[in-house]
Amino acid sequence: MPPSSPLNETAAPPDRKSAGTVFATLVDFARRRPLGAVGGAIIVVMVMLAASANLIAPYDPLATDYAAMLAAPSEAHWLGTDAFGRDMLSRMIHGSRTALMVGLGASLLGASLGSLIGVASAYFGGRVDLLVQRVMDVFFAFPVIILALAVVSIIGTGVGNVVLAIATPMVPRCARVVRASALSVREMPYVDAARAAGFGHPRIILRHMLPNVMAPVLIMATAFLGEAILLEASLSFLGLGVTEPTAAWGLMLRGAAVEFAETAPWMAIFPGLAISLAVFGFNLLGDSLRDALDPRLRTQ
Amino acid sequence: MRRVIRLATLATAASFALSAIAQTPRNGGELIFPVPSEPPSYDGHREETFGLIHPIAPFYNTLLRVDPTDISGTRVVPSVASSWTVSSDGKTYTFKLRGGVKFHDGSELTAKDVKASYDKIIFPPPGVGSTRQGQYVAVEAVEAPDATTVVFRLKYASGSLLAGLASPYNFLYKADILAKEPNWYEKNIMGTGPFVFVEHVKGSHVVGKKNPDYWDKGKPHLDSFRAIFMRDSAAQVAAVRGERAHIQFRGFTPKDRDNLKAALGDKITVQESPWDCILMVGFNHEKKPFDDKRVRRALSLALDRHEASKALSQIAIVKAVAGVQVPGTPFATPPEELNKLAGYWTDAEKSRAEARKLLREAGVPDGFSFTFSNRGIPMPYEPLGVWLIDQWRKVGLNVEQRVIEAAGYYGVIRSGDTEAFMDFQCGYIVDPDLDMYKFLSTSRNPANYGRYEDPVLDELYDKQSRTTSVEERKRLVGAFEKRLLEEEAHYLMTLQWHRIIPHSAKVKGWQVTPSHYLNNTLDTVWLSE
Amino acid sequence: MASYIIKRLLAMVPTLFGVAVLIFLLLRVVPGDVVEARYIGQGSQFQSQELMQLERKKLGLDQPLWRQFTSWMGGLLRLDFGLSMWTGAPIIEEIRLRFALSLQLAIMASTVATLLAIPLGILAAMKQDTWIDYAVRVFSIAGLAMPSFWLGILIILVMLIVFRWLPPMVFTPLWVNPWENLAQLIWPALAVGYRYSAVGTRMMRSAMLEVLREDYIRTARAKGLALKLILTRHALKNAILPVLTIISLEFAFLLGGLVVTEQVFNLNGLGMLFVEAIARRDYTLTQALVMLVATTFLLVNFVVDVAYAWIDPRIRYR
Repeated sequence: MPPSSPLNETAAPPDRKSAGTVFATLVDFARRRPLGAVGGAIIVVMVMLAASANLIAPYDPLATDYAAMLAAPSEAHWLGTDAFGRDMLSRMIHGSRTALMVGLGASLLGASLGSLIGVASAYFGGRVDLLVQRVMDVFFAFPVIILALAVVSIIGTGVGNVVLAIATPMVPRCARVVRASALSVREMPYVDAARAAGFGHPRIILRHMLPNVMAPVLIMATAFLGEAILLEASLSFLGLGVTEPTAAWGLMLRGAAVEFAETAPWMAIFPGLAISLAVFGFNLLGDSLRDALDPRLRTQ
Repeated sequence: MRRVIRLATLATAASFALSAIAQTPRNGGELIFPVPSEPPSYDGHREETFGLIHPIAPFYNTLLRVDPTDISGTRVVPSVASSWTVSSDGKTYTFKLRGGVKFHDGSELTAKDVKASYDKIIFPPPGVGSTRQGQYVAVEAVEAPDATTVVFRLKYASGSLLAGLASPYNFLYKADILAKEPNWYEKNIMGTGPFVFVEHVKGSHVVGKKNPDYWDKGKPHLDSFRAIFMRDSAAQVAAVRGERAHIQFRGFTPKDRDNLKAALGDKITVQESPWDCILMVGFNHEKKPFDDKRVRRALSLALDRHEASKALSQIAIVKAVAGVQVPGTPFATPPEELNKLAGYWTDAEKSRAEARKLLREAGVPDGFSFTFSNRGIPMPYEPLGVWLIDQWRKVGLNVEQRVIEAAGYYGVIRSGDTEAFMDFQCGYIVDPDLDMYKFLSTSRNPANYGRYEDPVLDELYDKQSRTTSVEERKRLVGAFEKRLLEEEAHYLMTLQWHRIIPHSAKVKGWQVTPSHYLNNTLDTVWLSE
Repeated sequence: MASYIIKRLLAMVPTLFGVAVLIFLLLRVVPGDVVEARYIGQGSQFQSQELMQLERKKLGLDQPLWRQFTSWMGGLLRLDFGLSMWTGAPIIEEIRLRFALSLQLAIMASTVATLLAIPLGILAAMKQDTWIDYAVRVFSIAGLAMPSFWLGILIILVMLIVFRWLPPMVFTPLWVNPWENLAQLIWPALAVGYRYSAVGTRMMRSAMLEVLREDYIRTARAKGLALKLILTRHALKNAILPVLTIISLEFAFLLGGLVVTEQVFNLNGLGMLFVEAIARRDYTLTQALVMLVATTFLLVNFVVDVAYAWIDPRIRYR
């Protein structure tokens, strides 16, 4: 049994719990960390909206209506319509799917790739570590948005490519944090034992080291989620993200939303609120998770 | 000889005075206008952007010019050349230069300078580039038999030579300077224009002041002008709205116009015109099913252009339903004729039914999906992209949009890695030679990314180009249009761009035209109290 | 100390070299080049292939990559950024005015961030787990959550409708008209500073909490020293350094990364120049800008490290 990771200090892994204790833990979490609970609630609502988008959206998010362009909020269109007469509410509900897809995709990709590099770098040490560190330094010196811009310019726009573009700048940041934790794991006796037993490098890295640095990875991934949603919105706003006619919040803020902000402010206000709320939710949860899971990481 | 020129000058001056409004121009004042992009260099022979024309054109003259009072922007009138004659075979053009045209360094402009400038444009020496060389393939030689005569000898008669010589890019440079350093004008400014260069602060502005020695006496009316570089269109609108700038010469959106009008009322004058720019959809003829003209025609029939003209003109800079020539110009097909072309019908239900039928006949299944490549430019590419995809969806096609970043766009389109794609063309003057060249067989024009060969179209083009009869040319242009847009449906037109210039009511003596490259010499412009 | 400084400075060299290689290659992989950006896609009907080849030759784009790279490196070693491929003017000249703007905005935004983060962080820590603490945290996390371009749109909208304020036409440098200059930059500085204060506030709060738990503070409190005095004397001194550090580390990115904010507020700064340079495939200008931001980032890091080493000599030998 490996020594307890920071995760084990506060709570045992969820799979060992019954449903009742999970609920009790949730209630306890909500009581002790009300902000985190608010964040969690926002995310739950968002996930539910995304999952049932086809059922609850009042209109087809792609259906245009040139007779009702730029219509103000009304009974027929609760949040008004956009420049093509498309229902804003329906597009917002469907937009939550895009946000979650890009957010989850990018943070999972970024975190897993980053942690793999971080652990491998710590495990091999020496020259490999030094080289990886230098390469990571190079990426650090690049502004996030510029790096994402460059990647999109090369591989193109669209949901899949945007996920890649957003994950890229996250890799080095995750790698750096994970490497720091992995350095201490490397010195643990069971890693020596595994090495002595003649296990291959991939096996030691994946089976013995990676599971023990999961706490910081989890924290970073949650923080990335909010950031990824924000970055997706920025890229889409700059016209380098998700493409029309896909419903996406950042895209909804582009073009006509800005131009008609004075006379049709609903077009600019609601999608912006949605983005802010989603990112807010993930940040609140991430913050509380950070406090709850690992007090030592608090100042990082 | 002198007398003849003087008479010609008087005659032009008189016609100007008649066509202009009956107000007496006031002298003085500084015209302030935002320019959405900054000139890369100062050489008009080299650049391709209004970002050069707007701040730099006032420093120069051209041999001929487009009548600054003509709303169709097609009537060619004298400028530095005061008159011209054409030989009976249409192959020799002789231009008489007016006297007293002086460069800003004090020296006189002669035929030698005109010849040197045009030699640079048409027959550039090795190591000197010329962007518009291809437009003057008919020209065999430019000659300067004496100081006030310039002769253009052609290989064959051309209906478009005069339009070519009125190009706002063809600044007249000084021969001595060009002889010493052909690229001198990239980084320096020294012309004969109504304004003299004062300064260019990078990332900020260009200033010009009145040329007191200008050959056209009494002009310019302005003391100076200030061109301010502002990339963001909201900021440009705000500048006009705050009365800190008088006008922006490229164009604003319909919404900007309405906002400005609402905020400033009578202090704003709005001028509008169809814009000599159009977005069209091209098809890669090497990709199935776009090799089938029934499919291409169905995609054109799917569009309700008349509804779009009403709807999109509220949110985008497009309006008129158009063919290969800007509506209202001499060679344009009249609307009632145009509406007979497939895809231009006013009955949307009928044309959608026809589209579905054609798709079925071509064996395209319902819900067929393809990729539409669009260029990453907000206005009007984005709204038109959304509209196209929506229209195609209405005949049962499922289209995914691929947006490619603007500068890399044509590299991708040229590579042939496309199905349907957005293409663009924009000119300084409405002219069949210029506007239809795009659609010639790919072997003749590599910039036709549709990858097709159509000898019939090529022949129609050559015929119209070499005819000097206006009626015959009209007929040939119509035939070209019908083949291009209906019979073969090689390309499909979206809507003609629409140029909207809401400007301070103080700005007088300026007429909107279909081109944002025209009418920027600013000699006729004045500011009322 | 001197050897530590030299060691740290030398360590910057390979990183900068890596940045140079990366941006050089990235730019060449992006489709299109400056000549294409200039002549194709303006919508003109005639294109001249000869002209484009000629222009490429003039700019040295026909040379093999390694030669382009070494000649660029050679220039950099002489501190010569070269000429912009788009305008042909020296890059220094292209950047000058925009750099002044971006530098000033970055300084103002960092100041705003610091001025917000420190008092808010202290307040939250002192009132830990009360509604004040929650309010501060919600306020600062909300700043992180709002997209900067959206906040910018809202600010402009409100200013326009309520105060009839309009964004400036041209940037007025500080030395020309300080009053006008500040009026132009205060709103974007507030918007950006608020956003960047969030990380600092969180840092200040937790640093403060830790310090407050330390024995000497408790002792001081027990001794009956006024809370205010304790704060200023001990706690603040220990907690403020990491906050300043994290805010200054963001500084380089404030310099070149405010693409969206600059667009919304019509500021002609380095961020917009960056976007323009990439859009025009102006390789030399883009490279120069990346090197500028990267160097600033590394220099700030360096200064922070040296400052720490100076305060705590043990770090030098780590």
